[in-house]
Amino acid sequence: MIEIQGLTVMFGGVRGLNALTATLPERVTGLVGPNGAGKTTLINVLSGFVRPTKGTVTIDGEDLDGIALHRRCAFGIRRTFQNEQVVENLTAAGNVTAVIDNVPTDGRPKRELVEAALGFVGMASKANVMGADLNAYERRLVEIARATVGRPRLVMMDEPGAGLSQEESKHLRSVITSIHDYCGAQVLLVDHDVDLISANCGATLVLDFGSQIAYGPTAVVLIDPRVRAAYLGIVEEEA
Amino acid sequence: MAEQALAYSLPVDTRTVRLKWMVAALVALAAIAVLPEVLSNYWLRTFISATALAIGSLSVSLLFAQLGMVSLAQYGLLGVGGWFALRISHGFGVPFELALLTGGIVAAAFGLVVGLPALRMRGLYLAIITLMMAGAIQVLISAFGFPDGGAGFLGKSTAARIMMARPHLAPTDEAYFRYAMVVLALCYGVVFLHVRGRPGRAWAMIRRSEVCALAGGVHIVAYKVWAFTLSGFLAGIAGGLLAGGVGQLDGSAFPASQSILLFALTIVGGAYSWMGPIIAGLMLRAFPALLNDFHVDGNIATIVFGAGLLHSLMTAPQGMAGQIQDVAAALRKRFAGKSGAGR
Repeated sequence: MIEIQGLTVMFGGVRGLNALTATLPERVTGLVGPNGAGKTTLINVLSGFVRPTKGTVTIDGEDLDGIALHRRCAFGIRRTFQNEQVVENLTAAGNVTAVIDNVPTDGRPKRELVEAALGFVGMASKANVMGADLNAYERRLVEIARATVGRPRLVMMDEPGAGLSQEESKHLRSVITSIHDYCGAQVLLVDHDVDLISANCGATLVLDFGSQIAYGPTAVVLIDPRVRAAYLGIVEEEA
Repeated sequence: MAEQALAYSLPVDTRTVRLKWMVAALVALAAIAVLPEVLSNYWLRTFISATALAIGSLSVSLLFAQLGMVSLAQYGLLGVGGWFALRISHGFGVPFELALLTGGIVAAAFGLVVGLPALRMRGLYLAIITLMMAGAIQVLISAFGFPDGGAGFLGKSTAARIMMARPHLAPTDEAYFRYAMVVLALCYGVVFLHVRGRPGRAWAMIRRSEVCALAGGVHIVAYKVWAFTLSGFLAGIAGGLLAGGVGQLDGSAFPASQSILLFALTIVGGAYSWMGPIIAGLMLRAFPALLNDFHVDGNIATIVFGAGLLHSLMTAPQGMAGQIQDVAAALRKRFAGKSGAGR
């Protein structure tokens, strides 16, 4: 469970997040909003890359402020990136091992955990392929394996569905849906693909100008007139 | 279609990998056994220096290949290692191994200091800062000189210079060359264990990007500092080995420009390959000696190195090691093709 209290982030004079308050208890939560709404900023605050100017975030009752940057991964905060960050000179298995090196293994052998994570995303057969030789979708899957290996509490995905073929989207959807059952982590999903959001997310948080404009069951939120005005309004204007 | 692509696998043939290692080990053993026997005294000394400098180049390539960091202070650290190895050896008469290790450890501490700016800087700025440190080391070394058996902390003797004691195992040039090659192999072993293990993975994550490393829980500061420390240690060992080979070190032989040359030749040799540092060591010492043998001015080597650097920057990012591997792959393909056609 993520609890956000009065979270404000200033970039110079620009407010990336503006006194955002939200409680996110769902297994899979969607995070949508127009460009510049603060979605990635929120993820960056949770990862620790951006220091909030004001406000607090707690995950499972623990205040993130007290957790050092390099300990957040071990604490269980994981993410994938909008621009994939697979290490090209490590194998797929090496990429996942590089993460399990730094997180608690509960006494299980690293190799076993890595194999399980790669198996979960459907990359078991490519464990020994170098990152440089993986295609764009395989790289995304390796990132998900990195984010789910071990014992994550929160997996945040920044636009995982961008630029995928239909087949790949289908596979990705099934992977995202099963993350909670696989490792027990809560999932925070940022994407512009409304189908992906509605297929996966029990609830959705809509941001605009760094504030919450709606939160609730995905189906209800997406037909909310304020959301349509902020998010889809641009489309209507253009049409 | 995606499922098909995912089901494709690329098995790694562990047998060929093991065979490769056995061949490499055999070649190394053969070199250690045969090379010292066939070389003249002049070439023995040259190869001893080349072996020591291969370790120095290994310290450069460790930082460059693993972290993408440019340190132009490594030859200075070689001097630091040499200084302390000489000091300990002359001052306390300790076994050579202990002097060598001390040189390595002190240079590691210096390397740590050199690496501190790397926590905030990279690229050109880091290169310039490390070059300035090399300059500082140059000033200290040329002001105080190397210990050569005299009294006092600086250990400068006014009478005849005393040579550093060689290891008990290897008093002769032949034996010392073998000794140096074993030390080189051990250094390779240390680097290899790091690269294949947890530090190597952490370094790879940091080199990919710092956000990637942070998201993966890598302690960036610790691993960067460790890389610089290890690299300083290797440079120090190289310096001590050099001192043992020659018996003494020349205070004017450690200018900052040597650090630049060492870096440049590591690139020319191929920083990403295990062969690169050995090629760099040979180019630094054996190539000028070869020119001298042909009665050509050894300084011409610098021009050749410049051309080599331009060449590798423009056309061969993997350096000479990469080109050798390409040729080997092409030959293998050709022979495999022939034997295949013969069947």
